[in-house]
Amino acid sequence: MEEGNSIIYGLEHQTRALSPQYGESDAIRFLIGTQSLKPNSNQIHVVELEEDTGALHTKVFKHDIGEVWHLRCSPHDAATLLTTHNSYDPNTSQCTMGVTLYKLPTVEVIPKDLDDLSAIQSRNAEDMELLTTIKPEGEEEIRCAEWHPTDASRVGVVCAGGVRVYDVTGGELSRVSAAPRLKLANGKWNPHQGHSQFAVLQDMHIKCYDTRSDCTKPAWSIDNAHTQLARDLDFNPNRQFHVASAGDDAALKIWDYRNGKEPIFNRTDHSHWVWTVRYNTYHEQLLLTGSSDARALLTAAASVCVDQDDDGKRLTQVLEDGVLQSYEQHEDSVYCAEWSAAEPWTFASLSYDARLVLSRVPRHFKYKILL
Amino acid sequence: MAEAKEKEENPLDIDGSNFNPDMYLDCLLKCATLKQVMDKEAEVVTQSQFLQSEMQTLVYENYNKFISATETVRKMRTDFKIMQEEMNKLSDNMNKITSFSAQISDSLRESGNNVSRLCGTRQLLDKLQFLFLLPSQLNKAIEEGRYTDAVHDYTHAQRVLQKYGNQPSFQSIQTECSEIIYGLKKTLRERLLSPETSASDLAESVGLLRQLQETDSSLQDIFLSCSESRLDQHLQGLSAMVESTDIIEWVEKCNNTLLADLGIIVSCYHEMFQDKENTNIPDFGDKIMLQVFHLFEEVVKRPDNIGTEILIRGLDKFFRKLQAMTEIISSDTMSNKAIDVVIQCINHKATIQYQSIQTQFKESLTKVRQSLASKGTDTTDLKDILNSLQVYLMQKVQASLLDLMAFLQNNLSFGLKTWCAKAVADTCWKVVSETMINLSDMVKKLACLQTSNNNIPFELLLILAKLCLEMQESGVSTLHTHLQKLLEESAPGLTVENKDTNSVMVHLSTAAQAALDSEVVFIGQTAAQMLRVSVLARDWLRAPEPRGPRAVCRRVVETLASADSAASQLFPTSIKPSSDSSRRTIWSRAPSSFSPLNRIFSERIEVFSPAGADRAALSNGALKVALKSLVECVRLRTFGRHGLQQLQVDVHFLQQRLSCMGNDERLLNALLEDALASAQLRCVDPQLMEPSIVDIICERG
Repeated sequence: MEEGNSIIYGLEHQTRALSPQYGESDAIRFLIGTQSLKPNSNQIHVVELEEDTGALHTKVFKHDIGEVWHLRCSPHDAATLLTTHNSYDPNTSQCTMGVTLYKLPTVEVIPKDLDDLSAIQSRNAEDMELLTTIKPEGEEEIRCAEWHPTDASRVGVVCAGGVRVYDVTGGELSRVSAAPRLKLANGKWNPHQGHSQFAVLQDMHIKCYDTRSDCTKPAWSIDNAHTQLARDLDFNPNRQFHVASAGDDAALKIWDYRNGKEPIFNRTDHSHWVWTVRYNTYHEQLLLTGSSDARALLTAAASVCVDQDDDGKRLTQVLEDGVLQSYEQHEDSVYCAEWSAAEPWTFASLSYDARLVLSRVPRHFKYKILL
Repeated sequence: MAEAKEKEENPLDIDGSNFNPDMYLDCLLKCATLKQVMDKEAEVVTQSQFLQSEMQTLVYENYNKFISATETVRKMRTDFKIMQEEMNKLSDNMNKITSFSAQISDSLRESGNNVSRLCGTRQLLDKLQFLFLLPSQLNKAIEEGRYTDAVHDYTHAQRVLQKYGNQPSFQSIQTECSEIIYGLKKTLRERLLSPETSASDLAESVGLLRQLQETDSSLQDIFLSCSESRLDQHLQGLSAMVESTDIIEWVEKCNNTLLADLGIIVSCYHEMFQDKENTNIPDFGDKIMLQVFHLFEEVVKRPDNIGTEILIRGLDKFFRKLQAMTEIISSDTMSNKAIDVVIQCINHKATIQYQSIQTQFKESLTKVRQSLASKGTDTTDLKDILNSLQVYLMQKVQASLLDLMAFLQNNLSFGLKTWCAKAVADTCWKVVSETMINLSDMVKKLACLQTSNNNIPFELLLILAKLCLEMQESGVSTLHTHLQKLLEESAPGLTVENKDTNSVMVHLSTAAQAALDSEVVFIGQTAAQMLRVSVLARDWLRAPEPRGPRAVCRRVVETLASADSAASQLFPTSIKPSSDSSRRTIWSRAPSSFSPLNRIFSERIEVFSPAGADRAALSNGALKVALKSLVECVRLRTFGRHGLQQLQVDVHFLQQRLSCMGNDERLLNALLEDALASAQLRCVDPQLMEPSIVDIICERG
């Protein structure tokens, strides 16, 4: 992957689910789920980037349970993943949603020998091992499912009307109901604060609930975080009070949620709704956003990530705030963008027209940060 | 002559000198007859006889004369003898007189010396008496307060006393005198320090002390510190007056007390010390004047003194006095400061002007906002509102420019100065530019507010955007020429130097852009919100067969149309299609053939992009925002067959109704087709209706 050149991988069906393989620390691997209403046509693609050669290797698994709306790999086990899916039953003419845990038969993607190679080239979809399916009661729409950051047996599920925490065996542990009038759009575990807080996006607001109690009152909240619908949020991996959010006002904002009145960082660089925002796990000043203006933007928020040294002096800020690079290889809305879990400078962005683009942070920015 | 000569030489002429008797006789005897000879003889005889007698008479006469002369000489001889005797007598007498006079002068010399000695003694005695009387004289003078006389006397005597001071008789006088003078000095110093003494008394005292040979520098210090304390009192009085009086009264008081005293002090100082280096006075003056200026600034800032006329009159008086003072003090800082004061006043006035323009404009804007909120768009003429706002703003600015011209009146002490004219020109321009910048900032703030809360009517944003553009196009230059005309009248020859109109223009245009963008986003978002809510709330999977376009589509069309008509009132329709539609390649895919490949040939649609300042561009912008959200929302849903068909009807309806707005039909079609294609993808049973049926349903609905 040369400087400025991205690698493009195309799929057959529409896509809006992407996840890096969190449990993998060596290979740059992403998982993609397809979205098709045709029965038995959905797949999970595992894409691995061979760093040395820049070659792309893929493996395809069947996902016959329905179209994939959301996909998360387990941070505890590289082979386990979690899909949020929807399927249409023509007999009852109804859609049912659910969350299913799968286990991949193997995490290896790069062929070892010729047999492997031919198997992959024929692109025969393999089967995955279905571990559990969680079906919430009623017909509530499920927005996404998130692994608990430390407890491998727990899963948080965001439904339109509230957050539930399930055991991996399918038992409901606790639920937090938000105000019924405003539906939830997305949510995430707070990786800090003892791993018991779950933050959700409700209309224009960000609210964070403690999952240990059934309390309907949020532990903290940022009201009117966006002037339109809020679409995504991500916690700063290193600073426990910083959270980034994105929404329909095309803005990317970073908040210190102890003081949720004004964002500490605010940029409007996209020209339509921003659907996803991700902190770089290694370099918190790098943020990745995907938007329905068919762009992925790499933004630096260096000014809010400046540390103070022992004398209380601010260490010098390496990067200027603002967009470092705009990635324009997509032709349709970018709903997902994810950093690689294994390599700090590589990321993937996925657009609705089933195009995965693997890109890199430009080298001069990388050197600026490292040196 | 020749005849006379001839006659003379004629030897025959009896009367001639060359007469030759023989020749004459011969001639006569030869020529004449006897008778003639006889007659001749007779004639000659008579003539001879006559001559004889005449000669006799003459001789006799001469003799007589001789005789008388002899007699006279004899008489003279006797007279001279008498004279001689008289002369001798005279010379004797003269000798006697000389000797007498010498005797007299000898005898008088002695007494004359005596007299002059006596005179000298008397003078000496007089002086001595003066000396002996000096102490009492001094006392008397001091008691009566005639310090000047006392000092005058003392300085006279001082020299003598110094010379003969070692003699015992004078010693006592000297000590007595110096004691008195010491006392005098003390009283003078006391008088210096006492606050009641006037400036002239003060100057007198210091002058006296100086004559009494106090050292200059210490005196200068005392003098200045005393004056300062006195001036401080004035300052205190003046600062107490700041709150209670108007500017004219204050300036008069200041001129009469503080500045007058300062003038006296300074001129006395120069007179007395002849300070060549001139070190102290400028510092001193500056120190005092700094406080005066400070107080003056406070006075100017008081709300009572806002009126231009009163301010200018007060300022004029003050400046006149200051100019007079400058000549006395002759300090550059002071004259500069005086100019500064005037310029500051002008600036202050200008600041008040544009601030008041701003607040008044804000008020009128609030009124407009209320009237817009209470009435619908159809009933209000936006152009009227725009015009009234524009005229109002222009008039306010022009009025304040005119007001500022009052500083250039000819009868003012500073009215004709070039620096003043320049300052007025600068501040006038500042009023113009600040007003424009304030306007832009206000518009930007409103535009910013608009995105966070929806209280501001979008018509207001349109009006303000247009106002900014109008100002940018013509308003600023009109004001500029107006200003130049005013300046030409008040101060001929002065022009507004190349003012930075560009930055003002940039401010205005960015504000207009912000307002337009905000309007477009607002309208677009309003429509988008309706579409989003309606799409997300509906159960498309189990939707009934379509009977007509959904009500929300009508509302969306109405919203967009009302914005379009409002925009059409203010922004002209440009006929030529917008540039991005001409660049766009043909969008020709059938709604059913969704494929990534097609997108490669279509241009990227920037949804939240800067809006152009014409009706079509504004509508395009709003359309984009609304329809793009429809696409995105459709993709989040699952459609049944009838749901898809309902959407097909909706899309068709929107296409029909919206195509008259904006000028970019391809953009509209692209977005609507995208929406339909997305719905097809999200449909479990993707069967579209016949276009003819869709037409019928749309018309029926």
